[in-house]
Amino acid sequence: MPSLGEQIRAHLPYQRRNAASLALLVFAMVLTLSAFAEVGLARDGKIPTALFGYGGALVVLAMAAYFVQAKFTPYADPLLLPLAVALNGLGLAMIYRLDLDTSHDRRVAAAAGKKLLPDAADAPSQLMWTFVGIVLFVAAVAIMRDTDKTDAPLSFTPKTAQRYTYLIGLTAIILLMLPIVPGIGREVNGARVWIFIGPFSVQPGEFAKLLLVVFFAGYLVNKRQAMSLIGKKIGPVSLPRGRDLGPILVIWFFCLGVLFMQKDLGTALLYFGLFISMLYIATQRVSWVMIGVGLLAAGVFIATLLPFMGHVNQRIDIWQNPKPYFDGGCLMESGKVVPVNPDTEIYKKWDAKGDPSPGFSACVSELGGEYSDSAQLMKGLFSLGQGGVLGTGLGQGEPWRTPLSFSDFIFDSMGEELGLTGLMALLLMYALIVQRGMKTAVAARDPFLKLFAGGVSFVLALQVFVIVGGVTKLIPLTGLTTPFLSQGGSSLMANWILIAILVRMSHDARKPAPQAIQDEGMTQIVSTR
Amino acid sequence: MNMDKPIRRVAIFALLLFFGLMAQVNYVQGSQAEDLRTDARNSRQYSDVFNNPRGQISTGGVVLVSSTPTNKDNPKYGRTYKEGPVFAPVTGYFNGNASQLERAYNSLLSGKDKRVTRQHWFDAFIGKKPDGANLELTIDPRAQRTAYEALKNQTSAGRRGGAVVLDAKTGALKVAASWPSFDPNEVAPQTGTKGVKRLEELDQGKGVIKPLIDNALSQTFPPGSSFKALVAALGMEKLGLDESSSVNTGPLLLPESNRPLPNSHDSGQCAGTAPLKGAFAESCNTSFGRLALDLGIQQLSEGSEPYGFGKRVFVEPDFPAAVSDIPVSFTGADGKTVQTGRDGTARSGIGQENVRSTPLQMAMVAAAIVNDGKIMNPYLVQRARAKDQSVLYNADPKEYGQAMKADTAEQLRGMMRAVIEVGTAKNLQGRNIAGKTGTAEQGGGNPNARWFVGFAPVENPRYAFAVMTEGPNDGATNAGPVAAAIMAQVLKK
Repeated sequence: MPSLGEQIRAHLPYQRRNAASLALLVFAMVLTLSAFAEVGLARDGKIPTALFGYGGALVVLAMAAYFVQAKFTPYADPLLLPLAVALNGLGLAMIYRLDLDTSHDRRVAAAAGKKLLPDAADAPSQLMWTFVGIVLFVAAVAIMRDTDKTDAPLSFTPKTAQRYTYLIGLTAIILLMLPIVPGIGREVNGARVWIFIGPFSVQPGEFAKLLLVVFFAGYLVNKRQAMSLIGKKIGPVSLPRGRDLGPILVIWFFCLGVLFMQKDLGTALLYFGLFISMLYIATQRVSWVMIGVGLLAAGVFIATLLPFMGHVNQRIDIWQNPKPYFDGGCLMESGKVVPVNPDTEIYKKWDAKGDPSPGFSACVSELGGEYSDSAQLMKGLFSLGQGGVLGTGLGQGEPWRTPLSFSDFIFDSMGEELGLTGLMALLLMYALIVQRGMKTAVAARDPFLKLFAGGVSFVLALQVFVIVGGVTKLIPLTGLTTPFLSQGGSSLMANWILIAILVRMSHDARKPAPQAIQDEGMTQIVSTR
Repeated sequence: MNMDKPIRRVAIFALLLFFGLMAQVNYVQGSQAEDLRTDARNSRQYSDVFNNPRGQISTGGVVLVSSTPTNKDNPKYGRTYKEGPVFAPVTGYFNGNASQLERAYNSLLSGKDKRVTRQHWFDAFIGKKPDGANLELTIDPRAQRTAYEALKNQTSAGRRGGAVVLDAKTGALKVAASWPSFDPNEVAPQTGTKGVKRLEELDQGKGVIKPLIDNALSQTFPPGSSFKALVAALGMEKLGLDESSSVNTGPLLLPESNRPLPNSHDSGQCAGTAPLKGAFAESCNTSFGRLALDLGIQQLSEGSEPYGFGKRVFVEPDFPAAVSDIPVSFTGADGKTVQTGRDGTARSGIGQENVRSTPLQMAMVAAAIVNDGKIMNPYLVQRARAKDQSVLYNADPKEYGQAMKADTAEQLRGMMRAVIEVGTAKNLQGRNIAGKTGTAEQGGGNPNARWFVGFAPVENPRYAFAVMTEGPNDGATNAGPVAAAIMAQVLKK
C-alpha cells in the first residue's frame, strides 16, 4: 500500500507557491512595521526613526531570504519563512519597546548628561543577531543541495548528516557539557546553561538541540527495524531487548545528569521528550514511550528527594503555590518555606545589625536569589492579567515590571500589550510552523529525513510548550528561550537554521518526482520503502 | 514499515500541547485576570491609581473634588479640591492613600467597584478602564461654609471646634465642619514629594491639633451639661419622672469624697427644689448628679447605647465615626483600669469624668428628641452616578433605633425650648433654635469644651445639631451663636 505521503502526492501534486509565500511575507513585514510604529507612537508620541532603521533592515533581510528561497528551493513550503519573519519581527519590536535606551525621553535625558540606570534589553544587538540568523538561513538554503544529488561531489544535503551520526552525537554532548566546564561556564540566574568566550556569551544547548535531533534520527533509522520487531512480550506490553534498551537508559541517565549538573528541569524535559517522540516515530512502540515517561518521572521524583536539588523542588513547589514564595521566600533544606514576604510577620531581610537574615542569605547563595522565588513568575502573571483579552496595546503597558521581560518572560510581555488575542495568534503561528514541519516529515521520501523533520518540528513544539507553559504556570517554570521572540543570539541562529533545514527538506519533499523515462526497457525500479 | 502514522500521531500530540497552552492562556487572561489585577502583591494597581481620572464629589450642585490631567506621565491625573479646608472633614484627601469619603468610596470613585464594572463589562472586555463614579453628598454647602467660618471665629487659638447638623427625619448629614482643618490640595497626587512631606507634617500635628482627624465625626470631647439631655431622658424613662417632677437642686456632697458638686449658680431654679424642666433649663448640676447616682453607672452606660454610645457609628460603610463612651471602667493613658465609682457616676451625670462624645453623637441624641425618639442612621452620600448619569447607588434612609419614647422626646423638646426662654441660653432668643448648653472643664490647663446641642426650627423641628468649640467662657455665649448662624443658613430656602 502506498504511504500516506505518496497518496497525498498522487492526488495533489505540489506546486510552486512562491507568490503565496511573498504575499505572506509582505503581510509579516506589515505586521512588524506596524508594531514598530505603534511602539513609537504610544511611547514617544511619534513615528520612530527606528521604523526605517530596524524595519528597513528587516525588510531587506526578509526579501533577501525570500529570493534565495525562491531561487534555490522553489517548491519549499510557503508558510515557514513568513511565519519565522513575523515572529522574529514581533520579538524585535517588543525588545525595542523594552529597551528604554531607544525611547525619546531617555535620549533627551542622556543628551542632557543625566545618569541613567542601565537596562538589560538590547534592541541593537537583537537586530544584529537577527541579521546573523537570516544570513545563516540564506547560506544554509543556498548551500544545501537536493537529496537526490547526495552523490555529486562537494554537495551537502540534509542527508549528508546521516553519515556522521556518531560524530554529531558526540559534538552535541560536548556542547551540552561546556557550561559545566569551569572557566568558560558560569551559573546565571540559578541555571548553568551559558558559556563565555571573550565578549560573547553563547547558549550551546540551543545548537546541541539540533545536533541531537540529527544524532537520534541517524541512530534510530539504523536500529528501528530491529527495535520495533524484536522483543519479549509480557501481557500487552512488549519489552525491548536489553541491548536496545541500553541507549534509552544512556539518554535517560544523560538527561538526569543535565538536570542535576545544570539544575535545569526544562532542558532535561526537552531532550528526553525529543528522544521519546523520535523513538516512537521510529518504532511505533507505545510501550517504549510508557517506559521512557515512567523512567523520567522516577528520575524527577528521586531528584525532589535529594537535599542538594532544592532548586528543582522549589520550582515545583512554587508552581503549585507561588504566593508564600513571593519576594524572596525559599524552600530550605529542612523542607520548610522560609517566607521573606512582606505579608508575613517574619519579614526581615536584614536583622538588627543590618546583616541579611539567615533565611535570606541562604536563599541568595543557594538558590539564586531574585530568580529563585516566585516574584518573577507572579509578576509575569500580573502582566498577563493586566493585558486581559485585548491587551493594553504595544508601548502602553508596563511589561518592564517583570524581571527578564525581554527574554524568558517575553511571552508574558506580549500578553500584556497584545492581550489574549495576540497570544493566541502567536501560539497559532508556532503551531503552524510545527504542523508544516510535520507535514514535511510526512511528505519526505527518506526515512532519515522523515525522522529529522519530525524531530526538528517536535523539538520546537516542546520548547514552546516548556517555556510558555512555565511562564503561564501550566507547568513548573524553567528558563528556556522562546523561539524567535527571546532576546539572544544563540537561540535566533539555531532557530533560523532549523527553519532553513525545514525549508530545504520541504522543497525536496514537494518537488515533482523526476519524470520516469518511458523507454526504459526491462529496468525496474524497486523501492526499499 | 513507514513512519507516517506515528508522525501524524506526534503531530496531533504537538497540537494538543498547543491547545493546552491556549487553554491556560485563556484561563489566566480571561477568567483570572481580575484576581491577578487586584492581588495584594501586584504593585501595578498602586501606580495605576494615578493613571485614570477618579470620579467627582459634589454636593448641592457644587463640584467639590475633581480629577484634572497633569500632562505628565506620573501622576497622569491630579486631584483638585474646591474650598479644601471647608469640606476636608467630609471628602478627606487622596494621594494613593486616602481618608474619609475618598477612602470609603475608593472603589466607586476609581471605577473598580463591581457596580461599575458589571455595568461596563464590555469596556473591561476590550481593556478600556471604566470611568470612576461620581458622588453626590447630603451636605449643604452654604451651611458648611458658614459653620467653618463661625467655628474659626469662635475657637481659641491652637484649639479645636466641630459642628454637625443632621436631618433628623432621614439621617442625612447637612453639616460636618471642623476647625482647624487642612487643605487636601496640599497633599494631592500632583504635589509629589512635597505633598508627601506635608502629609507627614499634618499627621504629626501640633499639640492637640491633628488636622487629619476631623473634630466633627472623628474626635471625642467631654460633653459637659449638654449631656444632661440624655440623662434627663434616662431619668424619665427608667425612674418614671416627667418634666414637672420635683427634683432636688440643692447642694450635693459627692458620696465618696464628701466634696461638693457645685452648681454654676445656687439661685433661681437651682436654689433647692424645682421641676425637672426648670433644673434642665438652668442646668443645675446637683440634680443631674443625683439622677446619675439614682440610675447608677451601669444603667447610665447601657441606657446610652441605643443612642450610639459605646460602639462605632458607621456614617457610611467603611466610614466609622469615633466611639463615644460613658465608661463603666476607664483605662487611662498610664494603662491602669479604674472602675467608675459613685463620685465618678455623679460627675458622669453632668458629662464630665470620662464621658466622651463626638459632636455627631450629641447630634444623634438631639435627633432622637426631634424625631419622637427614633434615630435615623446618619449618612453622607445621597447617590452615586456612573459617568453616563445612571444611578449606581441611592441612599435609603435607615432607622438606627428607637432610643426613647415619643412622649419623652416631646417633653424634652419643651425642656430645650425652656433653655432659651428662661434658662441658660436666653441670649439666643429670636434665633429660631432650641437646645441645651454645655461647658465642660477639661482640666490640666486646657480651656473649656463649650457645647450647644439642639434643634431647629423651634416649632415643628426637623434638624438636629451639635456644636462644640474650645475656649474660655461657656456654651451659651460661644457655641450657641455658632449653632444659630449655621441653622439660619440651613433653614434659608
